[in-house]
Amino acid sequence: MTDVFADVAHEPGAKKPDPIVIADHVHRHFGGLTAVDVEHFEVQRHAITALIGPNGAGKSTFFNLLTGFDKPQTGEWQFNGHSLVGTSPAKIARAGKVRTFQLTKALNRMTVIENMRLGAAEQRGENFFNALVPGLWRSREQEITKKAESLLKRFKLYEKRDDYAGSLSGGQRKLLEMARALMSDPEMIMLDEPMAGVNPALTESLLDHIVELRDEGKTILFVEHDMHMVRRISDWVVVMAEGSIIAEGPPNTVMSNTAVQDAYLGAHHDTDLSEDAS
Amino acid sequence: MTNIIDRRVLMRALIVLVVAAAASIAFGAWGSPAVASTVDTAVAHASAVSSETVATAPQVDTITQTAVEPDEEIGTNRYVQQFINGIVFGLLLALASVGLSLIYGTTGLSNFAHGEQVSLGAMLTFFFATQQPVSLPFVPVEFTIGWPLIPSALAAIALAAGTGWLQDKFLWSPLRRRKVSIVQQMIVSIGLSLAMLNFIQWWFGAERRRISTSIDTRIDMGVFTIGQTTLWSVAIAIICLAAVAYFLLRTRTGRATRAVSDNPALASASGIRVEKVVRLVWIMATGLAAVGGILLALYDNAAAFDVGARLLLLMFAAVTLGGLGQAFGALVGSLVIGVAVEMSTLWLGTDLKYAVALGILILVLLVRPQGILGRAERVG
Amino acid sequence: MDIVLDALGTMMAPATAAFALAAIGLNFHFGLTGLLNMGHAGFMLLGMYGYGISTQHGAPIWMALIIAIIAATIFGLLLGWPTLKLRGDYLAIATISAAELVRYLGRSNTLQGLTGGSTGIRGNDFKFTFEELSPLPDENITILFWTNHGTKSSSWWLMIVAWVFVALFALLFWQLARSPWGRVLKGIREDEDAVRSLGKNVYSYKMQALVLGGVIGALGGVIWALGASVQPDSMGRPTTFWLWTILLLGGAATVFGPILGSMIFWMSLVIIKGLASAFIPSSVLSPVEIEPFSLVLVGIALMCLVIFRPQGILGNKRELAFND
Repeated sequence: MTDVFADVAHEPGAKKPDPIVIADHVHRHFGGLTAVDVEHFEVQRHAITALIGPNGAGKSTFFNLLTGFDKPQTGEWQFNGHSLVGTSPAKIARAGKVRTFQLTKALNRMTVIENMRLGAAEQRGENFFNALVPGLWRSREQEITKKAESLLKRFKLYEKRDDYAGSLSGGQRKLLEMARALMSDPEMIMLDEPMAGVNPALTESLLDHIVELRDEGKTILFVEHDMHMVRRISDWVVVMAEGSIIAEGPPNTVMSNTAVQDAYLGAHHDTDLSEDAS
Repeated sequence: MTNIIDRRVLMRALIVLVVAAAASIAFGAWGSPAVASTVDTAVAHASAVSSETVATAPQVDTITQTAVEPDEEIGTNRYVQQFINGIVFGLLLALASVGLSLIYGTTGLSNFAHGEQVSLGAMLTFFFATQQPVSLPFVPVEFTIGWPLIPSALAAIALAAGTGWLQDKFLWSPLRRRKVSIVQQMIVSIGLSLAMLNFIQWWFGAERRRISTSIDTRIDMGVFTIGQTTLWSVAIAIICLAAVAYFLLRTRTGRATRAVSDNPALASASGIRVEKVVRLVWIMATGLAAVGGILLALYDNAAAFDVGARLLLLMFAAVTLGGLGQAFGALVGSLVIGVAVEMSTLWLGTDLKYAVALGILILVLLVRPQGILGRAERVG
Repeated sequence: MDIVLDALGTMMAPATAAFALAAIGLNFHFGLTGLLNMGHAGFMLLGMYGYGISTQHGAPIWMALIIAIIAATIFGLLLGWPTLKLRGDYLAIATISAAELVRYLGRSNTLQGLTGGSTGIRGNDFKFTFEELSPLPDENITILFWTNHGTKSSSWWLMIVAWVFVALFALLFWQLARSPWGRVLKGIREDEDAVRSLGKNVYSYKMQALVLGGVIGALGGVIWALGASVQPDSMGRPTTFWLWTILLLGGAATVFGPILGSMIFWMSLVIIKGLASAFIPSSVLSPVEIEPFSLVLVGIALMCLVIFRPQGILGNKRELAFND
């Protein structure tokens, strides 16, 4: 898999052979504070890309910009060749780019299966007038349920099918959120700190799921603090600091980059880059 | 960092005030010649003096104030007059809304029972000051207290502030500790407002009550007139507001209060005792509301059990206009609302003047939901 | 015994049905979607005005109802447009203000010709189209222990129609709440951003819920008016707060919650008043004090409900009415 990156330069804003996301001149500031200032950024299709950086590097803001949850002052970015400037989060999701959240947004007072069903696309019954006529949506509902159940089995949540999502553990919620995101068959999945708050027992299976998704042909971009995870599963690492991309490269070499080390050490001296930095 | 923001906030506040004043003077200059001779002037003015006379409650005490001698009116410019009335009303309103804003800022609660705190101040003053026999709810004994106005007012303020302390200690603080959601707390405050409103009605009845029997002498200032008591009220309001400003900007606890408003988690992490600050804010807010209620009762000549309930939405309008949770914003918002409400009576019926404030509120939500002084990112 | 009969009579009264219906509307807002509509009385009042004024101007009953619905729809759209993109408490403040704005406008002298000012519209001026439809005789009818007029005002006829409406809309709620549409609304109640990230247009769904609930509120208002009159001050803030008490008492997001809540609410008011006047001497609690006294209890009940049993009587303990 790393082969595709063989010819990619190890520099910020490097061109990829088959980019699914391309962003240019994305600039976001809050008052006088620059949060994100990215000149050029590409994400390779069918690969796992990690977005890392010290606290306050603007990773999450950049992530929100890419998914439409925040609007930049200037900039352009496209997904699959379509410009996404000014597009609402819902439309971006429908275009095939679904995200999860750092603080898990499982819908607590809905059952696990209802959470999953909500993730599905093309349910006519979600229109008010169609909703009044069950005949119009019942068969689609059955298809959705079948799909939801198979995903739940895959993520080992099937026994929780009829439990309220609020009763799940932190890790299970992360899994549920990921499974729910898959309900609409997205091309690209964006994970915001998928490891935050997950107990070690679940970490491995979560990582396996992510690798599995890539092998099925999905593109994955994730923000993470956990260096272990970054090193283990990512094909390509993008490092941000103070709102800009300062380095790119494969996981094994990017951390030895002096700019990256400076950024991390400048931010917090006690971070041991060789080990888990969460 | 905070200093820069404060200066910017004050600058914007100043600009808003200057623009409002300029607009009203412009209107005044344009409108005065046509108006000076109309009899309508006295009517509009008089009904403005007795501010909220659209009361549904029967008016037991006749309001002699409305019968201001017309010859005093002739020299006045009614635009200037209404502007001044608006500033006065705005200042009195600010006493209540600053507290509402502080509570919102430090706890996130939109306190729907804040209006009742205003009524409580006014009605408790009546309770202590009136020469009529009074009684307590459920106690069938009538007695007369009949203290002079100032000790009555002070006792009422102390009692009202005490209710703030009690509320926070036995209601809001436990709710926060139980991590009851803010929406739930808001509905609790609605229940409290319903209970307090009816409690006050049960205690004092539905009539409009006067807390002072003396008749306010009006002072002619050339283009407008103003009552002597009103001047005193304005002075008291300004002193109170200045004291709040001094507290927030210059004292340690005040800075802590602002820190809690900005970011409670951070404030708590940096060693500020958030609960203590919030307790103080509640005492201050309810005390200020009582002062506002008493002064408004003097300004309007009388107050009923629902005086605060009527003002609640005006307070919300003021607080939203100024930017939710911004104490100084609440002051500016109150002044703008006060002026808008009073000036509107020049064109619209007096029974529509509160509607104007609510219209402004909805307009603000439409174009600038963070308020005049708020930062855009807060709305999120 | 009189108290019991009174209480049971109140349980069936058109006013109880009117509040149950309005609370069903509020249930679409809050129970399903989590919208903090604190101005439901405004929707009711607009429905009353829409119905009353159009009837006064000669509209047949179906057209008057449509006008009431249109009025509530426009109000909902106008209200939702600026506020549904903002945080929940802004919606609360905007709705309560807008509802009061409607009331102030309605009772103002400026619109006296249209709305009748603060006295409103008398029953005789707008009830006739409804009463003409009554199949019941035009006289007092006694059924078991209760005597009501057959067709006039708070009549058996109105009672039947009102409860049929309540049943229909409860059915609608049941059907919609279990549909995919209702699922999206519940998702929004839990977390808007999550629903957005799943590709749903949250704003549009919130607007649909606001308008639908508002229209149901307006119909509740029409029923209320048919039993009483169009009086702006009867639709002030307390009315909205009572509706919230009713909804939370019965259980938000449940089908029968608003109905049960309304019955218990009105019944307990009658019982409290009855007991208070029977057992508390008038020197301690005079007759005029009973009304505020019972409303103090309503306020306290609302507080206690929200704090100690937010899911209400029928609510599922795990599916609480509030987010953590």
